[in-house]
Amino acid sequence: MTSGLLLCVLAMMWPARAEVHLSSNEENGLKKWHFIEGDIEIELVQRLPDQTRAMFMKHEFSSAVVEAMATSCMFQTIVRNSGKSGSGQPVSVDLTLWRMQYAGRQSGIVLKEPLIESWSDEDASQKARLVVRWGMFPTQQEFLPGDYNWGLTAFGLPPGAQFDLQVNWTEADKQYTGVIRNIICAPDVDSLK
Amino acid sequence: MKFIKRICVVVSLGLAVNVMATETLTPINSKQLAPDFALQDTTGKLHRLSDYRGRPVIINFWTTWCPPCREELPSMNRAWHQLEQEGIAMLAINMGEDEDTIFVFSADYPTDFPVLMDESGEVIAEWPVKGLPTTYVVAPDGRIAYRAIGSREWDDKALMDKVRALK
Repeated sequence: MTSGLLLCVLAMMWPARAEVHLSSNEENGLKKWHFIEGDIEIELVQRLPDQTRAMFMKHEFSSAVVEAMATSCMFQTIVRNSGKSGSGQPVSVDLTLWRMQYAGRQSGIVLKEPLIESWSDEDASQKARLVVRWGMFPTQQEFLPGDYNWGLTAFGLPPGAQFDLQVNWTEADKQYTGVIRNIICAPDVDSLK
Repeated sequence: MKFIKRICVVVSLGLAVNVMATETLTPINSKQLAPDFALQDTTGKLHRLSDYRGRPVIINFWTTWCPPCREELPSMNRAWHQLEQEGIAMLAINMGEDEDTIFVFSADYPTDFPVLMDESGEVIAEWPVKGLPTTYVVAPDGRIAYRAIGSREWDDKALMDKVRALK
């Protein structure tokens, strides 16, 4: 019994390897990347440019903003602290630290604060800005076990682009990094014909 | 080692699920009072948080276009039917939408507890909310006692007992 417990403790101390599961929605074919390491889970679900067009048009953004956002490679993103380890430690995510690798270049992802700042009054009303303020994923957030959040992330890449994403998070005051490879931005309507 | 690790993960997962089942609300150890507000509900009635002093209050921030917000509404409604009779209040604060939008939405997601409208987003800005849904449980003395980020099964007995224990 004691040796079994010891074996379990040793095995659990072995460095956790990240898992990335790729799946497709049977109904609409949209792909999902599900990253799991320790207590953190990150899900990125493709979002068709037309879905984003519809959302931004509904809230009366200017046509320039609607088109720019629709073709900025948006994903529905879920971050969760599963609490599976039982450590009870918070997990913190800071999107300013996330990096994407595309066409040989590394850059940060699109953040909502500068995005909202960049719009004129003609581009977006105060009410429309609220939709982005609360619809896009928070730039910084802490998750206690059981907590999760949902929001949009944008990568500023053309439809169909393929990129790698380096994700960063903090757990129990330690910084961690993982990579989700070969993420594909959803194609636009033209390429679906 | 990999096989042993898998077995251990399965065992610890079982333990973790058990822990999670009773740890769905995060305790907030703050002496600060919850920010007060005065908002109308969809029937036109004005609600001030300070008027609820002396009772635990569940305050849920949500919108109709947020999938996890929609997901938890039915369980919130079931919980409210039990908790309301025990003197526990529940207020759902819709962020940024008008009465018509909420009215149309309520045909698919009927709720019986008050739905307050923060159309300008001024109230939510006063609270430490990062994403939606976020729910706070305010203790009878006006402090924030618990927080939940993301949806929950609000009629879970263990969860409701935590709220009841604040009375």
